[in-house]
Amino acid sequence: MTAGPSRPSGPGTPAGPSGRPGPGTPAVPQVGATIPPLERTITLPDMVAYAGATWDWYQSHYDPDYVAAKKLPGPVVDGQVFGALLVEMLQDWLGPQCFVQRIDFTFRNLMFAGESVRCEGEVTAVAEDDSWVDVTMTVTTLGAGGRDERFAVKPASARALLGRADGTGRP
Amino acid sequence: MSLLTDEIRALVGQQRVYVAPEPFGAASGRYFGLAIGDDNPLYRDPQFAREQGLADVTAPPTLICETNQYAGLPMDAEGYAGHRWGIQIPDTREVRGGNSYVFGRRLRPEDVVTATWEITDVVEKTTGSGAAMLIVTSRATYTDQHDEFLAENTETIIYVEIGGAS
Repeated sequence: MTAGPSRPSGPGTPAGPSGRPGPGTPAVPQVGATIPPLERTITLPDMVAYAGATWDWYQSHYDPDYVAAKKLPGPVVDGQVFGALLVEMLQDWLGPQCFVQRIDFTFRNLMFAGESVRCEGEVTAVAEDDSWVDVTMTVTTLGAGGRDERFAVKPASARALLGRADGTGRP
Repeated sequence: MSLLTDEIRALVGQQRVYVAPEPFGAASGRYFGLAIGDDNPLYRDPQFAREQGLADVTAPPTLICETNQYAGLPMDAEGYAGHRWGIQIPDTREVRGGNSYVFGRRLRPEDVVTATWEITDVVEKTTGSGAAMLIVTSRATYTDQHDEFLAENTETIIYVEIGGAS
């Protein structure tokens, strides 16, 4: 997969003794703060790799003859990859001491091989003790010139714990 | 035409359980990270992972909800090798609605995953254009070999009537 130009740099550094995110990780975000977006182009070889990594060889995700018979314009990107990209965006932003505890996403439109998406989001709530943040997000398929063309995912939301790299068990 | 038949209603509560034939393994997480383009060192650098308080490398969190690795099923005629309910509703097309994941902790290479799938709800609605649609909600609960909670995946599959709407 090809990363877009707006992808943030990698995760931050370990938590301090308090369990809060350590130096190099962002400060606790405020409500309304924008998450650095993540852009990705998903090519057919990426989709073949994803099929292997998930043990999912359903032909609609890579077989041109199969999708042509189904009257689809091309191999269909497995929608569950959008959940993985949204989590990647959150972890890249919040650093390795965050833990995505919950994520929900609703599919809107199919994405096809060779297309690009942009994941975006903003903070909707922050715990009084700064132990978690809630976010709302979207995934948009991009058209010519990088313009927004159609939603792949909308709405999506998540809660990320801060300072709890390995979660808290069943919430 | 109602899609919500007695036979469909009777599906609620059905369960299937899959126990992985082996531990999840470190390579599965590293491979998935490569496949999705996520270069987070938590998935490939044991020292970095330990510095974060983890016992070892882990996998991208959503992998457990996306993979068929645990199922141990053969490929069907269309190449799919994961859990399915085998619901066939004539004159409908099947589309994904969405997913909701909950995570308890990060996956470890030694985890032997058990996935318990259950149909939790079936409901009939009408699309904006007047076609009938049946929404089937399933929940998969993933636990390790000590019955510790790992994750939960609630997903909706929608069967939309073809040619029934104006």
